Amino acid sequence: MLFPMSRNPEEPVYNRIEEARVALGLSRQDLADKAGVHYQTIGYLEREEYSPSLVLAIRIAKSLNQEVSELFSLTPFKKGK
Amino acid sequence: MKKLKDAKKIKVLGITVKPKNKFYWFEGVTKKGVEALLNDENSKFAWLRPQRNRRALVLLMAFGLVLVSLGSYWPTLKTDLNLSDGTSVVVYSVTAMFVILAVLGGYSLLRISVRSIADAPDELLDERQIQVRNTSIRYAYYAMGYVVLALLSLTFFGPELKLFQAEGNDGSYLMIATLFAYASMPSMVMAWRERDI
Repeated sequence: MLFPMSRNPEEPVYNRIEEARVALGLSRQDLADKAGVHYQTIGYLEREEYSPSLVLAIRIAKSLNQEVSELFSLTPFKKGK
Repeated sequence: MKKLKDAKKIKVLGITVKPKNKFYWFEGVTKKGVEALLNDENSKFAWLRPQRNRRALVLLMAFGLVLVSLGSYWPTLKTDLNLSDGTSVVVYSVTAMFVILAVLGGYSLLRISVRSIADAPDELLDERQIQVRNTSIRYAYYAMGYVVLALLSLTFFGPELKLFQAEGNDGSYLMIATLFAYASMPSMVMAWRERDI
């Protein structure tokens, strides 16, 4: 296939960005402004279609007052935790 | 320093100074232009954002590029119109002008549809956008190989086709089409591939 549509062929990074963002009452734009990225990048991250760099993961965790390990994982998060 | 840089107008010794809009010569974009597109400042281009519309634009652009590349053969295109020499030159020139303007317009719309991400420098993009831009440029590089191959084939085999005659063909439109294709290919790839821009 000339133009494969798979965005993230490597191991996905699961996250709880949306949950943490909503808990703080932030919009995607608010979080994007805090983390210094475009609001659509937050959307891609929340849909787990894009794996952030370590720097961006730290910036997002800091913006959401969380630790990186609380926000990102290589295994799916259990619901309600 | 950052505040001064970001300020819209600065007052120095009673004189209002507007910071210069940085122009990126290599990329052919301005800082304000890219930022305006990234921040949805102009909602009149919102209709270009859906992937379906972007793909339609890519197809139209590809069709326009084919028309321009065939421009060198237009004067000798066999038609049943039976136009006099003078009339056919006028018809040919005006048509060529409109097709080139249409492709130029399509190129501008294409850049707007992908928020100029395909042409923007690193400092105006975030890490995902940089990755998307680089991937688009990589595929555009491959695609340009096919475009050049097609245009070279047209140069060699065009006169052999029964529809065309080699007479009067200086190949200038092939060059114009190649330049348009080269400039617009990364945006075309990005407009086609990306679900959300």
